Amino acid sequence: MTTISTPVEEAPTGAGLVGRPDVNRKRMARLGWAFSAPALIIIGAVTIFPIVYSVAMSLSHVNVTGNGISLNGFTWANYSLVLQNSTWHYALGFTIIYTLVTVLVELALGTMIALVLERLAAGRGWMMALLLLPWSMITVINAQLWSYIYQGTYGVATYLFGVQNILGTSKPAIVALMIADIWKTTPFVAIIVLAGLVMLPGDIYEAAEVDGSSDWSTFWRITVPLLRPTLALAVLFRVLQAFGLFDLPFVMTNGGPGTSTTSLAILGYNAMFKNLSFGPGAAVAVTTALLVLLGCLISLRTFKVQVGKEGN
Amino acid sequence: MAPVSMEKVNKVYENGFHAVKDMTLDIGDGEFMVLVGPSGCGKTTALRMVAGLEDITSGILRIGGKEANDETPKERDIAMVFQNYALYPHMTVAENIGFALKLRKMPKDQLSAKVREAADILGLTDWLDRKPGQLSGGQRQRVAMGRAIVREPSVFLMDEPLSNLDAKLRVQMRAEVARIQRRMGVSTIYVTHDQVEAMTMGDRVTVMRDGVLQQVATPQTLYDQPDNIFVAAFIGSPAQNLYDAVVGEGARSIKLGSQTVELPESVVLKHPGLRAYAGKDVVVGMRPEHLRASSPDITGPKLVGDVELVEALGSELVVHFTIDAHRVIAEGALDKDEAAAMQSGEGVARVEAKTPVKPGDKMTFSVDTEDMQFFDTETGLAIRG
Amino acid sequence: MRKRKRTGWHRVINGVNISTLVVVVFIAAPLYWLIASSFKTPAAMGASPPQFFPSPVSGANYSQAFKQYDFGVYFRNSLIVSLVATALVLIFATMAGYALGRLPMRGKFTLMVSLLIISLFPAIAVIAPLYVLLKNVGWLNSYQGLIIPYTAFNLPFAIWIMRNYMLGIPKEMEETGRIDGAGPLRTIWSIVLPMALPGVFTAGIFCFTACWTEFLMALTFNSVNNYKTIPVGIATFGTALQVPYGTIFAASVVAVVPIGILVFIFRRFVISGLTSGAVKG
Repeated sequence: MTTISTPVEEAPTGAGLVGRPDVNRKRMARLGWAFSAPALIIIGAVTIFPIVYSVAMSLSHVNVTGNGISLNGFTWANYSLVLQNSTWHYALGFTIIYTLVTVLVELALGTMIALVLERLAAGRGWMMALLLLPWSMITVINAQLWSYIYQGTYGVATYLFGVQNILGTSKPAIVALMIADIWKTTPFVAIIVLAGLVMLPGDIYEAAEVDGSSDWSTFWRITVPLLRPTLALAVLFRVLQAFGLFDLPFVMTNGGPGTSTTSLAILGYNAMFKNLSFGPGAAVAVTTALLVLLGCLISLRTFKVQVGKEGN
Repeated sequence: MAPVSMEKVNKVYENGFHAVKDMTLDIGDGEFMVLVGPSGCGKTTALRMVAGLEDITSGILRIGGKEANDETPKERDIAMVFQNYALYPHMTVAENIGFALKLRKMPKDQLSAKVREAADILGLTDWLDRKPGQLSGGQRQRVAMGRAIVREPSVFLMDEPLSNLDAKLRVQMRAEVARIQRRMGVSTIYVTHDQVEAMTMGDRVTVMRDGVLQQVATPQTLYDQPDNIFVAAFIGSPAQNLYDAVVGEGARSIKLGSQTVELPESVVLKHPGLRAYAGKDVVVGMRPEHLRASSPDITGPKLVGDVELVEALGSELVVHFTIDAHRVIAEGALDKDEAAAMQSGEGVARVEAKTPVKPGDKMTFSVDTEDMQFFDTETGLAIRG
Repeated sequence: MRKRKRTGWHRVINGVNISTLVVVVFIAAPLYWLIASSFKTPAAMGASPPQFFPSPVSGANYSQAFKQYDFGVYFRNSLIVSLVATALVLIFATMAGYALGRLPMRGKFTLMVSLLIISLFPAIAVIAPLYVLLKNVGWLNSYQGLIIPYTAFNLPFAIWIMRNYMLGIPKEMEETGRIDGAGPLRTIWSIVLPMALPGVFTAGIFCFTACWTEFLMALTFNSVNNYKTIPVGIATFGTALQVPYGTIFAASVVAVVPIGILVFIFRRFVISGLTSGAVKG
């Protein structure tokens, strides 16, 4: 039996090739960039460039001409306008509270649903499919459906609960909006949590039973801590969505009555495309984006999740 | 420190599978009882019924003299070591070990003292602040042990706790587990599929097959006096040589294939019932070490075989040979690969290291008939008195 | 604490099953209302007290949606935009996912994190510049005007999913291919892609759903009737005074049913896509 005597150098990470490491590595790296290029170009063109332009718009005098818009001169005026505007203050508060309430309710309800479904002996697959239906629905359709339900004269809600003119009164309108959102999104949260639950190792629950843990104690001491990454993910998705709240109020109440359901996104849209004030509109847009980032950071911090190096 | 007793305990699953059949077993105070058998024999199910993780279909389970069928695991005061350790991934080693104590609202200083004590016994003191994900397999296994011993329960239940460790570590841990158990004096039920583990660790060993108890005895008794063919084939490594044979007149000889092996008077005295089998078929069992290297001029019962393979272990030679008799394979006693590899008529002998023998030789063995065993072909039971 | 008895009728009627029923009702009720209402006659739509079961059952809303309200046009537009965008996303995301998962690139990690951060930006932040840009190149009220932004917005998540799936494929598979003499592209096509197929389905279904339901950009960019997508069409059926709910619901059912079926068929992929993110934290 002869032995093969070719010199085998240390294989580089990633492609695991045999050969001269450096040349191959460089070649692979270049290939990698080539592969990523189309994606990165499109993303860059559509997101990075416009974001930069938005920031620029928010910091300039913007004039609308026949052909488009022109930026004339640096100014803080847009921001000072926005930051002192009472409608913006309202929109900010409304969006934040809306986000907090809906996310918390959906988290609680979604987790409860997930816990129930996890114990389900049969038909779990069907339930998961059912849960996906509201998620896959177009938000606009959801908005129209609930508008119909809340309709003052012939809506089911009006009939069942006797409250007149739900969408025409501020507080009920806000609640109605939240309910529509919660109905659509809770199943989504439930699925994420359920998927996380299902992945938890079963034998630690037996160990807990043997250790003498009650159902309540097991839930808080074992299930919840282990679900933290899953819950963080669900919250992250939701906070993102909630801050960009647009579809529901646009269709259901058009930001009204008055401005009581005007979210930040609606405010920005109206400013830019109804009133053609692109400067202040851009300022609203940019501040909203910053708030989204802030919101996500806070959510992540709350759940102490680290998006760290995953051992590439 | 409580005895455990099972009286005609049965487990039938919803789909009709009868996993444990009429199991009656008594475990004494402080005894180390091993449940051993091939996969699916019901040993783990039995253990889980004692733990309270499976419902008992019928029969009575008593722990510490009290009927325990309907009690929750907590009420039974048992501690369990799981096969995959079942450590809480988000808790540190200290928290894992102390969890049960925390649930019982033990005061903090007492709790940490106890955790420390357990950690010391298991050599985990330096690792108390780590999480399971940062530990090696062996360390995780010890944490699982720590979780059990810190409770000072009435009964230890262990479900193949060493099967996920590599061979060397397993041997090491076997000794440690046995040592800890002896020190604490807690009644222990230990499940394993490895008969070597069973033999080295147990005070008594219960062999199970297909949900039925085969034999309960000390390791040596199981080895020397198996009650049936299954136990004879299952216990011992390399496996015992079991052949179909015909008993000669007056039970003074047996015919294995074309060869006749004489049996001295002592054998018949030991197994008086053998006389009734004269002229009939039996299954004869010979342990590998009872076939010694011999030569045609040495007197006494002999057997000649064709050598197929010789394994040199250094301390001895393991000789695989064939004779023209039919080898009996008890179903489930050997794992499928072993059974498949075994040729018909194959037997194994353990001889002295320096014996000059090579494949292809015709080798003569002296048969030590004192410890030969005989079994009825139909019932499989040992032929004794 | 006594153990729960799980025998006899307790096995069917218990807390879990009752709660499940409640959940089913919670989700199904509005859906039922949507579908049932779409089959009501226009008069019955506005009936008070509301008709809980349509009688007579009428398909009038459906024919109105397609004939009077151009719903067929909207459906076609949504289909084109969603399919093309999804196809582009899948191709580019697979390539980028492979690169970021398997090839030695410097700054991979930074790139991944940046992609994630970019995907966090709400659409409102980019809508105005995009509008201006599209107006300047004359791509307002077109297919490409929506396809390209949709592609861009869905790429980060798709890349994330594909990358995770690629990482899950044992390196040995590719190495065997290399030893046998396949070049990198060939390896991807014959070995990696088939094994990453679940990831493709997952990313595909997410992307399609996102494009199908997107509203803000479609509203802003494609306001001409011929190029409206379904969400915009449905939102603008009728006027402020007269909202033709019947027609809207008929259109909605047509819009919801296909994607509902798609999602149902591919539900395993959706769920695994949601959780692969969770596993990686």
